Amino acid sequence: MDGFRFNRKMIVWFSAITVAVNGFFPAVWIFLTALKTETELIKSPITYLPLAPTLANFETAFTAQPILRFMWNSFVVASLSTALCVLVGALAAYGLTRLRMPYRNLIMSVLLAVAMFPLISLMVPLFKVMRELGLLNTYLALILPYAVLSLPVCTLVMASFFQDIPPDLEAAAMIDGCSRVQALFKIVIPLSAPGVFTAAILAFVNAWDEFLLALTMMNRVSMRTLSVGITLYQGEFAFPWPLISAALIIAIVPICIIIAIFQERVVGGLTSGGVKG
Amino acid sequence: MTDAVISTSKDMSERKLGTLLLLPAAALLLLVVVYPITTLFFTSLHAVDNANPRAGEQWVGLANYFRAFDDDRFWHSLFQTVLYVVVTVPGALLVGLGLALLANKPFTVKWPVRLGLLLPWALPLVFCGLIFRWFFEYETGIVNDVLVRVGFEPLQWLSSPTLATIAICITIIWKASSFMALMLLAGLQSIPKSLYEAAEVDGASKWQQFVEITLPMLRPAIFVALIFRTITAIQTFDIPYAMTGGGPGDATETLAMYIHKTTLDFLDFGYGSALATLMFVLSLVLTTGYLKYTRRSASRSGED
Repeated sequence: MDGFRFNRKMIVWFSAITVAVNGFFPAVWIFLTALKTETELIKSPITYLPLAPTLANFETAFTAQPILRFMWNSFVVASLSTALCVLVGALAAYGLTRLRMPYRNLIMSVLLAVAMFPLISLMVPLFKVMRELGLLNTYLALILPYAVLSLPVCTLVMASFFQDIPPDLEAAAMIDGCSRVQALFKIVIPLSAPGVFTAAILAFVNAWDEFLLALTMMNRVSMRTLSVGITLYQGEFAFPWPLISAALIIAIVPICIIIAIFQERVVGGLTSGGVKG
Repeated sequence: MTDAVISTSKDMSERKLGTLLLLPAAALLLLVVVYPITTLFFTSLHAVDNANPRAGEQWVGLANYFRAFDDDRFWHSLFQTVLYVVVTVPGALLVGLGLALLANKPFTVKWPVRLGLLLPWALPLVFCGLIFRWFFEYETGIVNDVLVRVGFEPLQWLSSPTLATIAICITIIWKASSFMALMLLAGLQSIPKSLYEAAEVDGASKWQQFVEITLPMLRPAIFVALIFRTITAIQTFDIPYAMTGGGPGDATETLAMYIHKTTLDFLDFGYGSALATLMFVLSLVLTTGYLKYTRRSASRSGED
């Protein structure tokens, strides 16, 4: 009996370490790389731990490219598109769950179809549209598409939370003189705050990570977002890996903080669609 | 009688309000999706005549589509895309299933495992591509270091078409498997424990339990995960872009990368639009298949 339990404990430890190493190893490795010098890098055989750890690469990362500017651009684009997406998505989710809408299933299907739309097919005409509207190299050129890209998942996540709120609460509020819209903002949204929040995190991470549209719509360096800006650290043929690693570490810190704080919520939001489908 | 009157008039106003609430979403979709897509098809029927470039884009009918038919680079990029789909979708499923089974244990401290699955998901694809490019470097990369240490020759990962394709597939699988694992883990946790207890009583082995209980119960989650993965894999762009830039030559170039180059580097909007339309049709077929499946399974669970 004792041996059996010991065995079981070993399996649990082995599992935890495997999953954690698989997930963390790349980040750990670039962190170690970021602490190395270029001369240490070309040593053969390669060193695992830095011989003489240095923060110089982090300093260079801030001066070689306007990385704080990239980060600011990403932040502006991601937060504004998230706000737009959550607002529009909440209205739509309420309409779809609470009001007896005709063609409800059709509308849901259209939303799902949009979620599966190939971005590259959208990129080509969207580039033309944004050029005609003179919106290239403006935040709006990314805010609008990002809001739409996350709209389906946000609407579905919020709709599933709205459904769990007893309609009696709204009815009571409306008897007290609230309008439907007031009931939505004063009762339904506050009560489903976790759902709204989950939707917001998903939209934010999606926008923060997006590359193709960011590459296309913003060709001025000062308007580049972080995901594209990171690729500017490499030369035509030269890859200064310690410098690139330092920039990568700086770039993933915000996203790491977000997922570390909100891990349970993110997992719940990501999987809610999958399990129900 | 009065009740009915009230409820119909309430229905009407609710309908109006519902439409109103859906309007902002509809407006966004019109501007960002519907309108651009209609111009996409229109543009794909045009091309710049090389003999008279001043005239701008001229109507050429389906010429761009015929051109794609004869374009080796298009067929190669399509083949490469399908290759990534065929290799990485089952690959990510297997690795993801493995990770999900490992993660489905009673851990006292949950965050290392949860973050170990979340970090690869949250990492931007380009960053993944860059990091793994660094892993696969010939002289200084860790992959060759490990190969040499266990007694193999170092490999020119990124300058051979075959090896570069393998390296890209490994990267995509690493990146995609964690999301797969999260979806499957949720599926695993929704399987009632009593099923396993009953099987245990009946003397079923762990393997029998896995095949007879776990896999059938996971089927819906696996299916949804596969569909999502396939639709994302068709659009593969960021990882090969960061790892090889499509090289060596055009060997690892995907359809999405070719479309991007055609439109933004060669500024050939007509042809690029035709290729983008073909891509659109390809994914539309898959999406319809997916919607049909979900609707069927929804009505099936409704019957239960």
